[in-house]
Amino acid sequence: MGNICVIGPRGSGKTTYLAALAYWPDNRRTFGRAKNFDIKPQNPESRELADKAENILCQGLDFQATVIGQEIQTVYDLPHYSFRIDTKRYFFSKKELIQVNVRDYPGEVFEKIIEPNFSNSIHEEFIKECFTDVTGCLILLTGWEKGTDDFYKKVMNQFVHLMDTNGRGEDLRLAVAISKCERGEIWSGRIDPELDLFEVYLPKTRKILRDGVLPKNLRFYAISTFGVLGRNNPRPNRADRLTDGEPASVLREPRHWRPYNMIEPLYWLGKEGKKVKKG
Amino acid sequence: MCMGVIYIGDRATGKTHLAMELANRNCKYVKVIRPEYDALKQLLYNEKEGTIKQTDGEQAIYNRDIEIQVELPAGKKQISLEWIDTPGEIWRSSWQSLMQAEWKKFLDTICQSEGIILILPPYREIIKPGHNPYDFINKQQWCNRFNRWVDFFRQDCTKIKHLVICLNKADLFCDIDREAAQLEFIPKGSRMNWEQRDAYVFQQYFKPIHSQIQQINKSGSRLAVRCFITSIKNRALLELPWIYLGSFLAK
Repeated sequence: MGNICVIGPRGSGKTTYLAALAYWPDNRRTFGRAKNFDIKPQNPESRELADKAENILCQGLDFQATVIGQEIQTVYDLPHYSFRIDTKRYFFSKKELIQVNVRDYPGEVFEKIIEPNFSNSIHEEFIKECFTDVTGCLILLTGWEKGTDDFYKKVMNQFVHLMDTNGRGEDLRLAVAISKCERGEIWSGRIDPELDLFEVYLPKTRKILRDGVLPKNLRFYAISTFGVLGRNNPRPNRADRLTDGEPASVLREPRHWRPYNMIEPLYWLGKEGKKVKKG
Repeated sequence: MCMGVIYIGDRATGKTHLAMELANRNCKYVKVIRPEYDALKQLLYNEKEGTIKQTDGEQAIYNRDIEIQVELPAGKKQISLEWIDTPGEIWRSSWQSLMQAEWKKFLDTICQSEGIILILPPYREIIKPGHNPYDFINKQQWCNRFNRWVDFFRQDCTKIKHLVICLNKADLFCDIDREAAQLEFIPKGSRMNWEQRDAYVFQQYFKPIHSQIQQINKSGSRLAVRCFITSIKNRALLELPWIYLGSFLAK
């Protein structure tokens, strides 16, 4: 059983990523030949999220931001999703089962890591939960433009510091991913994201993580929830628009929806989490 | 307290008729499950005169609960609806101070809801020949009225997430069958997605208030504004706003 938290700045696509995961089971055909994985939503919230993926994402809409306030007052008001991933990676390999429980934190929580406000219960509870109850964190970073590296570096620096002070420097695993890698400018760097994306666009963030986290506990990924239009058609399967004056994107061709590399980080986090527990 | 959808608009914009028609048994993807069509009709329709009963002028706010079932691509879901008629005077500060309790109730209800459907009448300049254009306010008056709504949404509705603006009585200003063929929702194969529908309707029919709508969108309140055209004479157009809201709010 792996408790995993998904964190990242506002608009990094956390809820959309989780919705695509929940929607996966019924749509393996839509999602291409990902037959070596089988995902089953395990609780009502994750099943509802699958419905939302179909009703909202597949209909050309995007999710509203998960924000603190109104119905979300404490960490327990945040959606908590549970998935079972059955995987058979290679023809001769044994079937493996990974249980993943994921809390979807608002982007604000990630951004406030550098200036923790302990009068706010969600921030306090996040720190508590993140450094006690979870086996790994999936960190989604979306910006690669000039200037974002400095911000991510500061957040990650503080995060690594919190890992150490909370006694998790040895065993908390971090899967750090560039999300929305269907974007033309970064798609070509997806194969070796540490070298071609992190080292090029987020070198300071990469260095902080490499210096502060044990190599066995850190992996870099590139993931794309929407993917591209086809194997020989690398145009992003997304349509860009403005929401609240901020750029946002929606799924362009639901029929050609093929996410890229969504399971890999969860597989690694869940599997390794299991090992740590056994050990 | 209502946590569903608020159905709102100035008097005589056709809200009552729209709601009654929505309950018609001849439905596609949106079905009113409570109250029944006959009960609603008896309540709202004047059989003798063949007209919709006018909302009581004495009563400032008039609301009624309705349960709606929406058939979405992932299955059937329900939303609850509360509707409010606003008399013109409601925006006057004199009315607000005189009817403090009513005004507070109005604001409280609005603040607790998740989505708003605002019904607007068409304006004189777009009315097709064959109808009396002087039954409708002119474009300037229409824009001025809308400005009051803009102020209201920006100041008093900071918690609302979804605002749906319906330009009603579409049969009076466009070819509803042609538009419905383009905009129609089909669970597994619509011609347009919501993004395309909104862009199309926004460009075609909401030109005079483009800047105001963009202003609401940019207010940073995370309010998503979507534009629709509706008519009681076309089921597909009539159902669209409800299907859209149902996608987000239905349980």
